[in-house]
Amino acid sequence: MSAPHASAAGVVTLTIGYLYPSVLSQYGDWGNVRCLQQRCHWRGIDVEILPLEVGTAIEASAVDFFFMGGGADSQQRLIARDLVMAKGDAIREAIDAGSVALLICAGYQMWGRRYRPFRGDDLEGLGIFDAETIHWAAEEKVTIRDITSAGRGRMVGNVVVEWEGTTLVGFENHGGRTYLGAGARPLGRVVVGAGNNGKDHTEGAIVRHAYGTYLHGPLLPKNPALADHLIRLALQRRYGEVPFPPLDDGLEGQAREVALHLHR
Amino acid sequence: MSPTAAGLVALEAGKGTRWLLRRSGRGGTSLPGLIAERIHPRLAGELAQGIRNGSLLITGTNGKTTSTRMIVAALRGAGLIPLTNREGSNMLRGITTTLVAAASWRGRLPASDQLIGVFEVDEGHLPAVIDALSPRMLLITNLFRDQLDRYFEVDFVASLWATAFQRLPAATTLILNADDPLVAYLGESVSNPVLYYGLEDGRWGRSQLQHSADSRRCPRCASDLQYSRSFYAHLGHYACAACGWHRPTPRLSAWDVEIGGLEGSTIKLQTPWGPQTLEVPLPGLFNAYNAIAAAATAYSLGVRPDAVKAAVGDVPGAFGRLERFELDGRRVLLALVKNPSSFDQVTEILLRNRSTLRLVLALNDNGQDSRDVSWIWDVAIEQLCGRLAWVIASGHRAADLALRLKYAGVLEGPPDGRPALSTMPVLADAVDEGLRRTPPGEELTIIATYTAMWALRERFVRRGHLAPFWQA
Ligand SMILES: [Zn+2]
Repeated sequence: MSAPHASAAGVVTLTIGYLYPSVLSQYGDWGNVRCLQQRCHWRGIDVEILPLEVGTAIEASAVDFFFMGGGADSQQRLIARDLVMAKGDAIREAIDAGSVALLICAGYQMWGRRYRPFRGDDLEGLGIFDAETIHWAAEEKVTIRDITSAGRGRMVGNVVVEWEGTTLVGFENHGGRTYLGAGARPLGRVVVGAGNNGKDHTEGAIVRHAYGTYLHGPLLPKNPALADHLIRLALQRRYGEVPFPPLDDGLEGQAREVALHLHR
Repeated sequence: MSPTAAGLVALEAGKGTRWLLRRSGRGGTSLPGLIAERIHPRLAGELAQGIRNGSLLITGTNGKTTSTRMIVAALRGAGLIPLTNREGSNMLRGITTTLVAAASWRGRLPASDQLIGVFEVDEGHLPAVIDALSPRMLLITNLFRDQLDRYFEVDFVASLWATAFQRLPAATTLILNADDPLVAYLGESVSNPVLYYGLEDGRWGRSQLQHSADSRRCPRCASDLQYSRSFYAHLGHYACAACGWHRPTPRLSAWDVEIGGLEGSTIKLQTPWGPQTLEVPLPGLFNAYNAIAAAATAYSLGVRPDAVKAAVGDVPGAFGRLERFELDGRRVLLALVKNPSSFDQVTEILLRNRSTLRLVLALNDNGQDSRDVSWIWDVAIEQLCGRLAWVIASGHRAADLALRLKYAGVLEGPPDGRPALSTMPVLADAVDEGLRRTPPGEELTIIATYTAMWALRERFVRRGHLAPFWQA
């Protein structure tokens, strides 16, 4: 593989701001960051990963790509205040300036307006997505005994989503139902699975270059077209057009093929 | 002491089902219990009242099978007759199956003064089993992330347990792992007697938590826990700077643990019953923990130290946990992995004892594995870089494994040093190919998830290399 030409600024570097890696690291979501790192590395693009924990300050212009993964309600509660109060302005500024973001599950919920968990008070979100999430058990007002009977209303299983003329594959596992407002466009249409809420066939949300979704798997390794799309968006902002040679995605294709034919 | 009329009907249905299954040559199912339970949900409780010495329950994410085996052997050595759920599952229906099998058609268990119930219980079914059996003792080994598509989050499971503990008889003793903060904290909210066990040998401590650690938050106030030592995953010596809660000091502690490669370990214990030494014939720190947990439970039941020592020293490897055998002139090492922490533990043991591996990795996504295979991305597969001769990915989700290996960088290296990767979803093909590529006298390593392990084991049993699991 040939390395891309160095830009005017020198070596091409993608800076990923990884939000709360020590708190939100469930269901292999870290694999998305690994995927971005390797697909850049194989093309000679440097990647720098900035862990953005509770209390870490963000310099909006420094981050090309935000990533935030999934976690339990209790973990969401731990970071909610820091995300909205301490980091909110810098994140909004970066997104307005064209930064890319990939938010999975809890991350996606927290970039919406509000999350109502099963137990406890509502959590205020960043409000970047015009979306609200309510835990299914809070919406249906069920008791703790019902919820333990095999997680009745939880949306768990393999997912296939139509996206930009192709498909995304993944695994969902969420109790929250997300409803999009007029200001958010869904990422795609659910072919297999529940998606945002199990009712309106939408999955995920897009606002500017911020992508929210419920898909674990992790998402990017089995959906290399989306991975490359996001990397290019992030590089364009800082470097314009950068040489972007295709990679051998044979193994990715085989894993997609298996995922497309799984039962729900 | 005998079951109600409804209980007798359920018992009859359960026994009938079991007889039919046996006649068709099928062992190891919990269908009899399931059927009996549907007819009369309280059957297990009614039958269990006939167990003279009461019941003890063993639960936790990792190690419960091995600990249960050691405890059963120790109790047998002490002259007791343990009734245990080897056949059937570790859900309530499996325990019901065991009781149905042991009871007479009139619902009487052997009227022996030596009878004691020793039941391994699935984490999610612990509250139901507690309510059914009112155990006299409860051992909890650890709580890791495992099959989250069934049980959501570890702290949620812990909260369900805490609620169930409020319904325990006042005299029930809890044996808890002090090194697991989620488990140790359960001892805070009960008035029952609690015996904490833990590891004090600082040589095994590291300063940083491994990637697969699940719980590093204080269970009392949710602040960061500070670890002065971390053994594996989130097990270690911890304290909360915010609220002051800290690891309880174990009354039974292992102050010296010598790990002898793949062979096993020697443990020196400080206990309320005096100093003890155990030889554990199973590898790794996690098996040392299993032995400590089993010993704590057996001593608490009054088993003499020499019977405990003999039981621990004799334990055969539990189903699929690093079994070794010969196959077609090759040495085969077979390891079961269930979640990121057990996978990391197995890899670590292998890499400490072997310079390079010839490896078959098998990943299934059936209900008993985990339908969600994302967890392989939380495994430190990167550790295998430069340590593989070649690797064959197998199982229903072989392609996912292949992708994980690729992104771990395991397949990279100088042109002559790149390990070849083959993807062979059919388990039998992968093992045959693995054996073909392994020179006679050399070792082939197979790492597999639960149902893949079952399938492989059945194959090896048919070929006469291993005893069936439920007879072993
Ligand atoms: Zn605390």
